[in-house]
Amino acid sequence: MAPPPAHPQRSPSPSQPSGKSEVTDLRSQLRQLAGSRAPGADDAKRDLFKKVISNMTIGIDVSSLFGEMVMCSATSDIVLKKMCYLYVGNYAKVNPDLALLTINFLQRDCKDDDPMIRGLALRSLCSLRVANLVEYLVGPLGSGLKDNNSYVRTVAVIGVVKLYHISASTCLDADFPATLKHLMLNDPDTQVVANCLSALQEIWTLESTSSEEAAKERETLVSKPVIYYLLNRIKEFSEWAQCLVLELVAKYIPSDNSEIFDIMNLLEDRLQHANGAVVLATSKVFLHLTLSMADVHQQVYERIKAPLLTQVSAGSPEQSYAVLSHLHLLVMRAPYIFSSDYKHFYCQYNEPSYVKKLKLEMLTAVANESNTYDIVTELCEYAANVDIPIARESIRAVGKIALQQYDVNAIVDRLLQFLEMEKDYVTCEALTNTKLESSSMQVLVKDLLRKYPQWSQDCIAVVGNISSKNVQEPKAKAALIWMLGEYSQDMPDAPYVLESLVENWDEEHSAEVRLHLLTAVMKCFFKRAPETQKALGAALAAGLADFHQDVHDRALFYYRLLQYKVSVAESVVNPPKQAVSVFADSQSSEIKDRIFDEFNSLSVIYQKPSYMFTDKEHRGTLEFSDELANLSINAEAGDSAVPAQRVEANDNDLLLSITEKEEGRDAASNGSAYSAPSYDGASATSAASQSLADLAFSSTSGSGQAPASSFAIDDLLGLDFSVGAAATPSPPPLSLNPKAVLDPGTFQQKWRQLPLSLSEDFSLSPQGVAALATSNALLRHMQSHSIHCIASGGQSPNFKFFFFAQKAESASIYLVELLINSSSAKSQIKIKADDQSTSQAFSTLFQSALSKFGTA
Amino acid sequence: MLQCIFLLSNSGEVILEKQLTGHRVDRSICSWFWDQSISQAHSFGQLPVIASPTHYLFQVFREGITFLACTQVEMPPLMAIEFLCRVADVLNDYLGGLNEDLIKDNFVIVYELLDEMIDNGFPLTTEPNILQEMIAPPNIVSKVLSVVTGTSSNVSDTLPGASASGVPWRTADPKYAQNEVYIDLAEEMDATINRDGALMKCEVYGQVKVNSHISGLPDMTLSFTNPSILDQVRFHPCVRFRQWESHQILSFVPPDGQFKLMSYRVRKLKSTPLYVKPQLTSNGGTCRLNVMVGSRNNHGKTIDLVTVQFQLPSCILSADLTSNHGTVNILADKTCNWNIGRIPKDKAPSMSGTLVLETGLERLHTFPTFRVGFKMMGVALSGLKIDKLDLKTVPYRFFKGFRAVSRAGEFEVRS
Repeated sequence: MAPPPAHPQRSPSPSQPSGKSEVTDLRSQLRQLAGSRAPGADDAKRDLFKKVISNMTIGIDVSSLFGEMVMCSATSDIVLKKMCYLYVGNYAKVNPDLALLTINFLQRDCKDDDPMIRGLALRSLCSLRVANLVEYLVGPLGSGLKDNNSYVRTVAVIGVVKLYHISASTCLDADFPATLKHLMLNDPDTQVVANCLSALQEIWTLESTSSEEAAKERETLVSKPVIYYLLNRIKEFSEWAQCLVLELVAKYIPSDNSEIFDIMNLLEDRLQHANGAVVLATSKVFLHLTLSMADVHQQVYERIKAPLLTQVSAGSPEQSYAVLSHLHLLVMRAPYIFSSDYKHFYCQYNEPSYVKKLKLEMLTAVANESNTYDIVTELCEYAANVDIPIARESIRAVGKIALQQYDVNAIVDRLLQFLEMEKDYVTCEALTNTKLESSSMQVLVKDLLRKYPQWSQDCIAVVGNISSKNVQEPKAKAALIWMLGEYSQDMPDAPYVLESLVENWDEEHSAEVRLHLLTAVMKCFFKRAPETQKALGAALAAGLADFHQDVHDRALFYYRLLQYKVSVAESVVNPPKQAVSVFADSQSSEIKDRIFDEFNSLSVIYQKPSYMFTDKEHRGTLEFSDELANLSINAEAGDSAVPAQRVEANDNDLLLSITEKEEGRDAASNGSAYSAPSYDGASATSAASQSLADLAFSSTSGSGQAPASSFAIDDLLGLDFSVGAAATPSPPPLSLNPKAVLDPGTFQQKWRQLPLSLSEDFSLSPQGVAALATSNALLRHMQSHSIHCIASGGQSPNFKFFFFAQKAESASIYLVELLINSSSAKSQIKIKADDQSTSQAFSTLFQSALSKFGTA
Repeated sequence: MLQCIFLLSNSGEVILEKQLTGHRVDRSICSWFWDQSISQAHSFGQLPVIASPTHYLFQVFREGITFLACTQVEMPPLMAIEFLCRVADVLNDYLGGLNEDLIKDNFVIVYELLDEMIDNGFPLTTEPNILQEMIAPPNIVSKVLSVVTGTSSNVSDTLPGASASGVPWRTADPKYAQNEVYIDLAEEMDATINRDGALMKCEVYGQVKVNSHISGLPDMTLSFTNPSILDQVRFHPCVRFRQWESHQILSFVPPDGQFKLMSYRVRKLKSTPLYVKPQLTSNGGTCRLNVMVGSRNNHGKTIDLVTVQFQLPSCILSADLTSNHGTVNILADKTCNWNIGRIPKDKAPSMSGTLVLETGLERLHTFPTFRVGFKMMGVALSGLKIDKLDLKTVPYRFFKGFRAVSRAGEFEVRS
């Protein structure tokens, strides 16, 4: 029986030794042996080589021994050769001149009688990666590709890719891609074929960005003859090569349905393969082939279900996590198909918590009328588990299931049992962790009450007994306060509990709790005015004095509402409740579809489409221009109220973070096409040449994906323009498009390109300066004037903001840099604009908007 | 496409680094990874796939060694994870175990292996039989041989014949003086027994392991008397799937030496060979624990190496546990081990004692899960029976041997 997957005690990594003197020692010993032909010399050499390589392995720089190592390398001993190749491969790049010395013996080895040595030598030769030695590569590679031993050919094929990476032109001049293509279609050895395929894919994908022909060649890889040729031999391929082929087949679009069925029939037994990667790749092919046929697609789910479930239970936790992530995706798409397999998602005690968490989500998803009872019973067993995070998750899951189902009696009963159980703890002044558990339950009970008002009576009896003093976690506290307000008519001491909470206003650190408290007191006031009046007054006073903008605003709002008319206030604050049918889903369906298209890729594991997480690399955070480097960038498109997807840009620079909105939502709200696919395409191609793309992006601002997205925006705006122009003639005073969109990349590019059209200094109102203390207040304020913030940063007293705005019904964009010194109340703006003539008007608009800041 | 593979020790030290492509991955990624794994060890555990600022990292953790692979491009995650698992398995085979010292002592072999297993970031061959022909394992026999013959190379001079033969998993023409085939049924029972003592889940995960030493190119068929109970079968690439589908017969040309022919699962079993009954009763700040273990003895075989392990809840201050059979150990991390060994015929082993709860706590609210281990020789708990093994195409007489062993997999009893 395996011990629990306890994470080992990991200590900080030790510092690596430097080992200077050792290196000099080794050098002298190597020198002595270099010319020796004595009988025991090889053994001595082997020990020395081992020492050198072990030093290399632990990170000591032994590159200074290069010359000596090469001198010693004239040997017939294959182990010595291997060690020498390893060493040379590691250090040739830093010693290009000395690497020339090795060429000689490597070339000789390439003509050795033993195919093993020929292969090894060729591999090492190609791994030198020294640009000025490529001329020596072409010959051996050419003969390697024609070698009669398949081992040498497999090595040579990969060698071609290596050569391509060192010098693309040499590789293409020698016409290697054509040779590879010929080999791929004719070689008897399947490993050679597979290597050719992977090599050609790599070369042509990189080449296709610049050459039409290569793009066409790449297309031919997914043509019918090639696909059929590979599929017919698929059983001969090694498991990894099968993955490669299947990946390619998934891109193939069959001409008719019978072809689809032929392919699926042929591949069906791949689902039984022992290698999970093959099973998953096959599943992907099946899913993609049948996308257009709804009923068959359904059957495919049924077909791939069992093999995938097998993979979950057969492998190591790491493997089952990867498979589970994919199952998770399928379950979320079609929960009903998996509803009878819920037992597969039961958690085992030993499983790591990341696996348990996924399983809990799936259990939640597959719950239906028939299995709810079993699932909830099982989840309740986890709730008493030693593993606290999982216990909390499972209680949460019970709540979610309750929200999905019609028959909730049993579930609510159980939840209340939890609360009662917790009550014991609480009265016993139990541990913090049990309180945490109880808190997550209260959040749930609140959600439940919103959905099932008829249960409220029962719950209140229980909740009323929970003393608020024992609840620590802000969310739970907020939930409890909400209940106090909502059901104050049924809880005799609600006003007094609220009053004591108001008295401790200053000790309440969470703004969320304070907001809830304000609302709860208001609600309580409408129901039991005489008892609550004092508490309400205190709460409003405290709220008005609150430094948190939202709390302040809400207090002010309530105050004015009450001033205006109490009945109106009541209808606003305490409208008749309607049961919630569904709580907003955390992820849009469009994003889920996008992830589904990328089945069997990293996207599934991150539960984000690749453009959302691969992005950050293209954006090349390290290459940000200096002025943006210390700022936080908000790529705000529509409104900022939507929870944005956070992408941590760069861990080295903590001040820098990028907030990106979900493109999918944006497209929906604007009603026009944000050309996400082209964006995605750009990121996909540059993903293939990661470093290249980064490089291109930093050095030449005109290439990379920036132009693609700016075109997309121009497109978008162009569309706006034509629609707008047709509807109304543009009014003479400058008005701004409230839904302007600009991504940080385009902003940066434009900022660099455009000349400065205006720079002005002016002073801020004191209220404005005071309001600056609240983060994001200025951003929201400016947004209400259709001026959007793209980046902000700095520390008191100096703040820096970058804004952009777009002229209504026009593509013209204004870029603003705003510097504020809060101690002197001075500010400076720099404006750059597409349309220089209107920049003065915009400046006036901007300043008037700014002057209103803090006075509202 | 993987760019680099690192092997990290338990203390975060890089034991081995293998760059696979021209884009060198700097070692600093390892310290980033290590810092992350320290800081996140207590939250939701370490995910197998992590996005670092510069790379995507795949990690597989085995016996104190972290296998870490880096890539910058989108790739099928399972491929990377499977591959790392394979690397771990192959190293385990070769070195006869996995730990830091073994890898450091044999790092040249590890390099050689990685060289053959992956090139330019794409996995080549991971079939242990073929690798063993390219690179001889550093076992005692080869050490002795090298001393005797004077050739100390552990690399065979010839290329594996398989790369030339049409059967990629088999050497072209092995020769044996004695032809023999051993078949092992190794089964693991996964069972979950809930709080009320009901059997929630009882399944067997089994593997058919074959050790074949047959000259020439043998074609074997293996059949079971009750193949219909098998569920979720997975096969070694050598098995002809059509034959299985139509006749439920395993027809294959075996690799030479040891390999895993198939794995399967048998679901919905009705009983477990032994019972474990925990009882917890709380009263006034203490909790009385009593665990009874006994054999159901419906197989007529003895049950060996029985262990019961559980984690005491954190709210327990002290525990005083004794047993009438075997030994009870409570470790510093509140893991309690009860080693029973073989279940005696005359009495039912039981463990009992009191747990003292934290002051202020009246009753126990978090309950431990008891994990049970056992081993039974000579019985396949799933009830699977091998019918016969035939050898076609090769005219030799050969020796065949069958064995079965069952042990506990994820066998847990909730309380």
